Amino acid sequence: MKAQKLTKLALLTTLALIIFIVELRIPDLIPIPGVKLGLANIVTVFAVYHYKAGEAAMIVFSRILLGAFFSGNMMTILYSAAGVSLCLAGMLFLKKIISGGLRPVKHLWLCSVLGAVLHNTGQIIAACFIAGTGVIAYFPFLFVSGCIAGSFTGLCAQYVINRLELETGNNRDIWYEEKI
Amino acid sequence: MKYGKRLYAFCGLILLSGIAGSVMVMGKPKTDNVSIVRDGEVLYELDLAKEEDRMIEIEYEGNRNIVEIKDHQIRVSDAGCPDKCCAKMGWLNSSVPIVCLPNHLVIRYSDRNDESTIDAEAY
Repeated sequence: MKAQKLTKLALLTTLALIIFIVELRIPDLIPIPGVKLGLANIVTVFAVYHYKAGEAAMIVFSRILLGAFFSGNMMTILYSAAGVSLCLAGMLFLKKIISGGLRPVKHLWLCSVLGAVLHNTGQIIAACFIAGTGVIAYFPFLFVSGCIAGSFTGLCAQYVINRLELETGNNRDIWYEEKI
Repeated sequence: MKYGKRLYAFCGLILLSGIAGSVMVMGKPKTDNVSIVRDGEVLYELDLAKEEDRMIEIEYEGNRNIVEIKDHQIRVSDAGCPDKCCAKMGWLNSSVPIVCLPNHLVIRYSDRNDESTIDAEAY
């Protein structure tokens, strides 16, 4: 892998990690376990759009591992890994359907909503294995919060992607440095 | 974008089913029997109508949960886990269980229907 691409992937991982750690400090309004504004997934959606599946997976799994170390809570690896695997699979599948390389990107946030819902589903499945099947009752709340949070992060990622294109103005993808 | 309207409809469907499910789950079940379950095995089965006020302390790998029963209601009043999500959930009043994930603890209304004369059982 070229050094330039590796550096860019590492930068994205750092960004996701910082957002993740800062977000842990925000006091949560809703006491349901698992409801959170997954802002670090902005970087995940961005990576899914710009990079191949393996590279996006590298960013995400590094972020989970390092985030668990830095936040001091190793159990989150289990839940996050389950959620993120489903989320990545869903988003990559949907990306083939949605994007055709057309700019400006308008419908990427739907991809993110599905990703967020799948993420919560994966976390509930992991929680079922760990704490017993009573946890299924949280499922409806996580659907709703997944839709809302997923659309928010998807819109953020979409604006970032569109803005990065507008900076140059002559249809060059400033992140990827290739002509479209 | 080929599947545009179908995708919007699908997301709308997810949101609506989530809202409908939340409303359904929030109803209070008719029984007064409560189980405290840990790792799938039932620790306590309590009948809330007959219980008096007390505190139960449950230990798990160094962390403890203090379960408080007061006025025929049950809740987790303190926990050793860092985020204390279980304590913030308040009194148990719907099908939604009170869960402490780090301690693998679940408190919920149980499905037991029999009229036994035993007030509480510890397994």
